[in-house]
Amino acid sequence: MSITAASTSAEPAGKPITVGVADLSVAKGPGVTIVTHALGSCIGVTIYDPTTNVGGMLHFMLPDSKINADKADGNPAMFADTGIPLLFKKAYELGAKKENLIVCAAGGAEVLVDNGHFKIGSRNRTVLRKIFWKNNVLLSADDTGGNHSRTLHLSLDDGRVAVRNRGTENILWPM
Amino acid sequence: MADVNALISDSESLPMLPTATSQLIGMLGDDDVSINDVAEIVRVDEALSFAVLRYANSAAFGVPSRKFDLRESIVRLGRSALTKIVLEQQAATVFSGGCDAFELSRERLWRGAIGGALAAESLAAEHNPELKDLAFVTGLVRDVGKLVLDRAYGVDYVTSVQSKLYADRTFVDAEREAFGTDHAQVGAALCRHWQLPERIARAVEYHHCPPEDGELHDELTDFVHAGDIVALWSGISLGSDGLQYELADHVKKSLKLSRRAAERAIASMWDSLRSIEEALGIETEDKERNIA
Repeated sequence: MSITAASTSAEPAGKPITVGVADLSVAKGPGVTIVTHALGSCIGVTIYDPTTNVGGMLHFMLPDSKINADKADGNPAMFADTGIPLLFKKAYELGAKKENLIVCAAGGAEVLVDNGHFKIGSRNRTVLRKIFWKNNVLLSADDTGGNHSRTLHLSLDDGRVAVRNRGTENILWPM
Repeated sequence: MADVNALISDSESLPMLPTATSQLIGMLGDDDVSINDVAEIVRVDEALSFAVLRYANSAAFGVPSRKFDLRESIVRLGRSALTKIVLEQQAATVFSGGCDAFELSRERLWRGAIGGALAAESLAAEHNPELKDLAFVTGLVRDVGKLVLDRAYGVDYVTSVQSKLYADRTFVDAEREAFGTDHAQVGAALCRHWQLPERIARAVEYHHCPPEDGELHDELTDFVHAGDIVALWSGISLGSDGLQYELADHVKKSLKLSRRAAERAIASMWDSLRSIEEALGIETEDKERNIA
């Protein structure tokens, strides 16, 4: 896992920070874009504080670290229940305030004809909402479900969140 | 309609299978093959020798107390691990051109191939260990048909398929309507062109629609089919075809795949993949392009 705490001065202008699978990154803008590719069943979460230009992104794979606590210790970004708190904590360390955060999510797709048997994407979505609900975090916008892959972008210039899929772009925030 | 034979007969544009890979696949299941036979293949190739040295001296294979030379490394790894390392390393050559049609960079192709191979191998290890190595190899080459279609049609391929794609329809069904064939059939034809064992070619051909019974049913196909879905779930092999695939009911039942087992398989595959990347020194940050 790589957890990046980049700042504007540390990042060359125009080069986005890429968040890999089971990975997270936080940074202070402006002049920084964070991106993650190939969100399928996985979910990408973005947070952004407009008062400090601090934002971050998590790309988690699975809902619950209980399936393997050792893995969660080694790579907390793999799971929703360990990755989401860490994303927020890292953003707070850079000066973000919980009450200011704009939170968006994308991904959580399913393979076809699942018949409710696995619901890997759906479980990710459910656990995400549960964690936010328990912690009084409001999800500002989301683009989840379906059967397609998504790319998620967060601009730390203005908190703009975009989801790209099959050549089309959907602006999640501002709405 | 695409003519599969015509696609494969244009050998100039076909992906090449490295000689070492071909030799090693030919040796699978042959008890008369010794570690020395595998070592001979490694020694004549500088890149392979480097990969083997790096792997044997990596934490993925237990922290070494000292540096091992090539001969020691080969002995340390053993035949099975050595074969796997060579195949992992050589897969990068097969996928070096990437696959624009499916919006898959070479890194993503490699990751998807290895991830699906690892998941198929792991399922085989649990249900029929004799098929472990074969499941890994078949998982590795299961999507080579995408490379052929990319070279023949470029981005027009997926654009045409997507025009036939609607909710609850699999990508392979849409491929068949648009082109009269699909990437699995084309991949099987390429495997036959490469003279890989027929069992591998057949499993590649049916890896998206494994026959439930009859003479075409093969556990190997089931492992590769489920391994492919595990790789899709993890997101590592996602291209512009998305998740428009389905897991066959009979495979789900025969492999006793519960939700929890699936989540474990995803996590375990991911860990193994990261260890391999670390050991081989492969950087696969998804920084190269936008998939959408």
